[in-house]
Amino acid sequence: MSTTYIWAVIVLMAIANFAVRFPPIAVVSRLRLPEPFVRWLSYVPAAVMGSLVAGEVLRPGGEYLITLRNPYLLAALPTALIYQRTRSFLGATIAGMLIFVGIRALLG
Amino acid sequence: MRGVRLGLPIFLGYVPVGAAFGVIATAIGFSALQAVVCSATALAGAGQFIALNLMKEGASVLAVVAATTVVNLRYMLFGATLSPHLKDMPLGNQALLAFMLTDETFAVNVSDRRTGASSGASMAGVGAIAWAGWVAGTAAGALAASLIGDPSRWGVDFAMPAMFTALLIALAEDRRQMAVAAFAAMLAIGLPALSALGIIIPSSWLIVIASIGAATVGAVAFR
Repeated sequence: MSTTYIWAVIVLMAIANFAVRFPPIAVVSRLRLPEPFVRWLSYVPAAVMGSLVAGEVLRPGGEYLITLRNPYLLAALPTALIYQRTRSFLGATIAGMLIFVGIRALLG
Repeated sequence: MRGVRLGLPIFLGYVPVGAAFGVIATAIGFSALQAVVCSATALAGAGQFIALNLMKEGASVLAVVAATTVVNLRYMLFGATLSPHLKDMPLGNQALLAFMLTDETFAVNVSDRRTGASSGASMAGVGAIAWAGWVAGTAAGALAASLIGDPSRWGVDFAMPAMFTALLIALAEDRRQMAVAAFAAMLAIGLPALSALGIIIPSSWLIVIASIGAATVGAVAFR
């Protein structure tokens, strides 16, 4: 893998990532948005998180893993419960990782 | 400082995942400097891992950049969602917040916004500490790859899913939001199964399509 190739990817990836992040903020914040669009936007955060969690937990690595021996699924349920009870994002994340390591070890 | 405190969990979650990126990047031929610069300028989580996969397979520069861009199209939705709250902010500050926008900083800021306490400064704090975690983790992984060994041993595989799970619970606060999140989850799991019918949806588009679909159903169904 050549150095030029790696640097080219790094530079273009930086530009591309900024290009998807910045224009919506710069442009949309200067518009007066119609009510239905604002309502639509209010559902975006929950929709993105719902699809991210489902993908990570039920299709880890892009392969379906819909079984009771799925360590991602078994660890996600207590993680959700811990967050619900404690409202601690940090506590839930760390507890989730520990539970995941434990479950993976148990499943062999 | 409030923002830094809010973002601290993100920092701690990003360090191990950033370290995994550093380990894998140097294993496929990045120098430590390149790995760190990549994390510092792209701040693209999943997008960066996908890039490494494609580069390992010898994909062209354009193919790599296109794939990470599509994976990160959801940032456009984030920017649009946050923008009504950033109306009175100068363009330079908006650019800075845009640069530091990730799944986690977005979700933390949105949920903080709902408590009414969020400000431009707190959002910048959340972004800065998250960025620091991602870059520090990458540096540690790239420089100490041999000490760290296989990153998955440390439960790193579950760092992102754990953060996403907690953020989902934080954001799906009422029945409507829960219904939209559940529908998005069904789409994200159901759509790839359409490949059995010959309808192939590239995995890099899944999150964007599922999110837009579910938010649209929510906006139409719940008035």
